[in-house]
This record gives sequence, structure tokens and C-alpha cells, in this order.
Amino acid sequence: MATTTAAVTLSSDLLSDSISVSASSTLMKAGTTADGLDQMEYGYLDLPTGDEYDLIATTPTASKASKLYLKNHSTDETYYIAVTQNAQAIGKLYGGDWMFIPADFHDAAGDIAITANGGTNKICYALFHEGTVLVTT
Amino acid sequence: MATTTATITLSSTDLLSDELSLSTTATLTIAGASTGLTGTTGLARKKTGNTSEYTLFAAASYTDDKAHKVYLKNTSTTAAQYFIVEVAGTVVGRLYAGDWALIPWAADTTGTNCDIDITPSAADMTLEYMLFTDE
Repeated sequence: MATTTAAVTLSSDLLSDSISVSASSTLMKAGTTADGLDQMEYGYLDLPTGDEYDLIATTPTASKASKLYLKNHSTDETYYIAVTQNAQAIGKLYGGDWMFIPADFHDAAGDIAITANGGTNKICYALFHEGTVLVTT
Repeated sequence: MATTTATITLSSTDLLSDELSLSTTATLTIAGASTGLTGTTGLARKKTGNTSEYTLFAAASYTDDKAHKVYLKNTSTTAAQYFIVEVAGTVVGRLYAGDWALIPWAADTTGTNCDIDITPSAADMTLEYMLFTDE
């Protein structure tokens, strides 16, 4: 069984008491503690402005426990990536921001799409999943 | 200025032939500037009484089109238990037992209100959550 760990630490001095939250999870296949996610895609690319792009070209098995990591490596704080799913706005990743989300990809329309704003954004992404449906040529 | 940071570490020694070790830290700032995020709900927990859909954060309650960040964690230890996470009715994904997520949230209200909703797969599940806001 492949063992992949995702850990997060959130720290802040926004409150009178400091915030320090940590969590760690082993990325498992849906509904089991016996088998870890055993497939991944990983990339680093330039994202030009002007068009919306599907980040993941293939469709991992729907309704599973896939996880998507995405970071905007742009150093200009005014640059951002608009993240949408099924044409619905989710959020914006500004230069330096990252996200880690469960990804359902319930159908072709459920693909996560990204659009660069401000200029060409540099992004890094990793998708951890348990199955891929290849697209026929 | 308040400083809020988020660090992620992804690691595996056996997923690939080469070891995976990725770690990065983001300082969470307001949209389009280097000023730190200005608000937070603090860390909280919600226990669900049934399998109904719950609105965790209503977009109309926050400033539209900003750089909010949402942290979620499913505290369940039962592997089959999950939360369905939705934004504006669109399923983002399933958060299984022990899983966590950090989601950028625009709180868009231009068309459909981009509320963040959760649906537990079983009654009496607990979600841990925190929102950092760009007011």
C-alpha cells in the first residue's frame, strides 16, 4: 500500500490568543483504512491569460477520495488564478497561495478549471487519486 | 499587521520510485496586496445531528470577490464517514475521516451565492473549521 501524508499548519496572530492549528492525514482510498491512494499526476507550468483551462484533462473515478494540491508560484501579488468547478466560482489563488481540496470530478462538467489574471501565472499542481478513465483519441 | 501563515507538507516514500517531499508556506494576504488577512472566525467545531445539508458559511455574510480561506477537517475516525463539500451547490469533493482541506473562497454573490455547504454521510459527525476573511 502506498502511504502518502498531507500535513498542514495554520498560524496567526489575528486573535488575542495565538492560533496554531496542525493536522495530518494519510491519503486513503474512499471509505477504507487499508489502502492508500496509489496514483498521482504532478506538474509545473505557465498559465497564460485569455482562456480558461481544465487543470485535469482526464477524469479520475467519480465520487472517490481524490485530493488536489495547487499552488500559484507567481511572485506578483496582483496576479491570481480564478478556480472554478462546473463553471461555478470557487475562489482565487493569489501569488504565493496554495490550496488542498478533496476533488470529486463527478462527471466531465466537474473538472476543475483555472484562469490566469494579471499576467502569465506559474503554477504547480499534484493530483492524488485511485483511478483514471483515459480519454479515447 | 496580522500575519497568518499556512504550511503544507506532502510526503511519501513509496508512492513513486523517487521519494515525494514537498513543503511550502503561504502568508495569507488580502486580494491583490501584501497586507495580511484581517479577520477570522477562530477554530470551531460543529456536530451534525442528522444527514441534512448544512450551510457552513453564507457568502452574503462576507465581502464578495475576495481572498478568503476556509479550513475544514473531518474529525471522524470511521473510515466510511465523509462530508460532501459544496460551493454554490456544486460538489467540490468528499472529505473522509481524518481528511482536511484548505480552500480559497471568493464568497462570490454575483450570480448564485457561493455558500459553503456540508452534508454528512451519517448523523452525529463532527466537522472542525476555521475561516480567514479578507474584509
